[in-house]
Amino acid sequence: MKDMKRITNAIAIGAFWLAGLTTVFILGAVIVYVFVNGIGHISPAFIFTRPHGVNAEGGIWPMIVATLYVTGLAMVIVTPIAVLAAVYLAEYAVQGRLVRIIRFAADTLAGVPSIVMGLFGLALFVEGLGIGFSVLSGALALSFLMLPIVMRTTEEAIRAVPKYIRWGSYGLGATKWQTVSRIVLPSAMPRIITGLILATGRAVGETAVVIFTMGTMIFTPVLPTDPGRSMTVHLYQMAMEGINLPAAFGTALLLMVMILFFNLSARWLLRRNRRMQG
Amino acid sequence: MLVALSGCSGETSPQNKLIVTGSTTIQPIAEVAAEEFHAAHPLDDVLVSGVGSSAGIENVSSGTSDIGTSSREINDEELKLGLVDSPIAYDAIAVIVNPSNPVSSLSKAQIKQIFQGKITNWSDVGGPDLAIGLVNRDEASGTREAFDKIVLDKERFDPTAVILPGTGQVRSVVAQEPRAIGYISLGFVTDDVKALAIDGIEPSEATVVSGTYPVQRVLHLFTKGAPTGLAKEFIDFVLSAKVQDSVVRDAGFIPIGAKEAHGG
Amino acid sequence: MADERRPGDMPLVSDDVSGLKLVSRSTYVKEAALKNLFLLCAFVAVAGVGLIFVFVGYRGWPIFSEVGLWKFLLGTEWLPTSGLFGILPLFVGSIVVTLGALLLGTPLAVGAAVFLSEIAPPKVRAIVRPAIELLAGVPSVVYGFFGLLILRPIVAQLTGGLGFGPLTAWIILAIMIVPTIATLTEDALRSIPDGVREASYAMGATTWQTISRVLLPAAKIGIVDAVVLGMGRAIGETMAVLMVVGNAPGFFRGAGAPISTLTSQIVMDMPYASGMHRTALFGMAIILFLISMGLVFTVRVLSRMREEPS
Repeated sequence: MKDMKRITNAIAIGAFWLAGLTTVFILGAVIVYVFVNGIGHISPAFIFTRPHGVNAEGGIWPMIVATLYVTGLAMVIVTPIAVLAAVYLAEYAVQGRLVRIIRFAADTLAGVPSIVMGLFGLALFVEGLGIGFSVLSGALALSFLMLPIVMRTTEEAIRAVPKYIRWGSYGLGATKWQTVSRIVLPSAMPRIITGLILATGRAVGETAVVIFTMGTMIFTPVLPTDPGRSMTVHLYQMAMEGINLPAAFGTALLLMVMILFFNLSARWLLRRNRRMQG
Repeated sequence: MLVALSGCSGETSPQNKLIVTGSTTIQPIAEVAAEEFHAAHPLDDVLVSGVGSSAGIENVSSGTSDIGTSSREINDEELKLGLVDSPIAYDAIAVIVNPSNPVSSLSKAQIKQIFQGKITNWSDVGGPDLAIGLVNRDEASGTREAFDKIVLDKERFDPTAVILPGTGQVRSVVAQEPRAIGYISLGFVTDDVKALAIDGIEPSEATVVSGTYPVQRVLHLFTKGAPTGLAKEFIDFVLSAKVQDSVVRDAGFIPIGAKEAHGG
Repeated sequence: MADERRPGDMPLVSDDVSGLKLVSRSTYVKEAALKNLFLLCAFVAVAGVGLIFVFVGYRGWPIFSEVGLWKFLLGTEWLPTSGLFGILPLFVGSIVVTLGALLLGTPLAVGAAVFLSEIAPPKVRAIVRPAIELLAGVPSVVYGFFGLLILRPIVAQLTGGLGFGPLTAWIILAIMIVPTIATLTEDALRSIPDGVREASYAMGATTWQTISRVLLPAAKIGIVDAVVLGMGRAIGETMAVLMVVGNAPGFFRGAGAPISTLTSQIVMDMPYASGMHRTALFGMAIILFLISMGLVFTVRVLSRMREEPS
């Protein structure tokens, strides 16, 4: 009886170890697979030149530019709105119907399937406002996707700032806005930036939104109204066209490197901040 | 319709954009021709996007593209939209199987039954006892449209077939799966797959030009109204001997002048 | 929630009673203006939801008014070029793909969450936790690419088909929803006070008994919450599904036979669709939107249940 109990326990604990390590194994498998197949194709020429020829030989420079452009622009659009919205929720809002509606809307926005966001961008920005397939349309649609993420992480960051810091500020006669802008936001900044970086990483990996808002043309965008093809869309097309698998792996690897970079730098920033706060 | 970019006239940034969308079959020709055109006319940039023939026709009709590329004929409804056709090449559609498949020739009627789901095992057509794995293209595909018209007489495809949105993907699945059968443009056939003879005729430039290979079609560039300006320059460029003999042939297609040369 | 005001908070601008002016008139006006600006920013989220509903709904409306809601929802044939816009098979496809992914993914995710919160030594935790978070960051096209090249041939061997179909999509989607479910389940487990664990161990319970009879039941609503959100992620996932599911718009016929889903069909058809076909795709998008909204609503109701246990 006692043995049974011990054996069951050992088996269960073994199963939990297996579940935990399986996730690491899957991540490792995806990373190693992409890395091993893609590394041979990475070169300065692959990064800095245009694709050419029947099999899309050459590089993916236009796609890298389009990807960074559209996510950068989306971040510029979303940051002030999301941060100020979070300031409202964390510092000003009084629990009530209004706040409940805002929170429900943010949660809904976070749950909208990206393909729906893509069609929304197509209907409103590309066709409705006549911006056309462009970096701007893509960035606007992406910013709706990023908004709830940045709002949530920023609100958490602001709430994590200890109350007594605020009291000190009020005690010196500062107004609410002075306290928020000079005391609370600067203290919350590392965590806010972490949230922004994570949201940007999410946007870099997005496909269904940009395919219907930025288009699929291979073009190095200069103006916000220029079209472009993101790296994700390029990978999708290369994979489905099956024309140049090595270049597809190269694109996948660069994408993974970018996303790892975003995630690891966010993590590093958070840890450094935690250490500094003691 | 040319999109002029104001305030952006540096040496490196092109002034005029020509938007070409449509057939993924024509994509390789259009992309390479666009590069060479850009090299010859640095101020003009041709933007090419492979979205399927139907999308190309839709885009050129609605004015979002300057040229729509299509690997199928336009239908009666689309004819009313005032599109002008510039044929650029001939192409055969090859029915492909895995190289390990002993079947190397089928009749048109057998192929029709296979793609309708009426013949479901390779043993029924002289092959091994293996369930047939059908690979079909998406409805945007001009290759599908042409295949449907020529081989299936517009009857319905087996609705349980796998649908893949790209020519290369069809080829790579057929290259990996012994049970698979699909159809792709002759220009895309490589050693990874085996092109079947249809009614005993192998697909090749000679059999297409002579008209004996039954599954062939013309590749088109469509413009809304007669081509003008940059669109006309680009179409003329594609039809020039230089592009026809290098780019079109390299991509595995047959120059549009080949039949006249053969006839004369 | 943490929204309630606590004693000692700075008086809100709105609390400012005449006769007790703490600040000058101009400062008061500025503070009030800023507060309203922030409220406006917060309202962008509400406006976003409204705009999506209006713009996608407006484009999709004719499919309900002209073809009819029931013919659209319950129609069994998706043959848009022949004017048949029945999305039932696609709907069933979405449900099949989602449920299978949940069946595969939930045990793995809950197991990983229990491992992180109850079992893993700190050093192992420091590897597993970031790994799960990174899994959430991998783009869906990369998962699709991986599924296409690695899983598809394996599934083809297993099922005797071409490897495109629900099984491949289940595996890929299960991996994709693990981070969502695992992270939220771990939060739920961690919110259980340590005293509960100590009480269980003090009564002589093993780790497994504590987990299975005390902790998991206590975290039940949190886990359901996590699974519902994972469901939202799975039903809305597009690119990875599109690349492996086979896209044949017929009814589910088995794990190895190709099917299609609402999301993948939209991407397949959108580039060339025109007229009523295009409208139908927007109609499908609004249905997806309503489903995802319903799931978010369910989660809210669940978390309210958790906060005020009856």
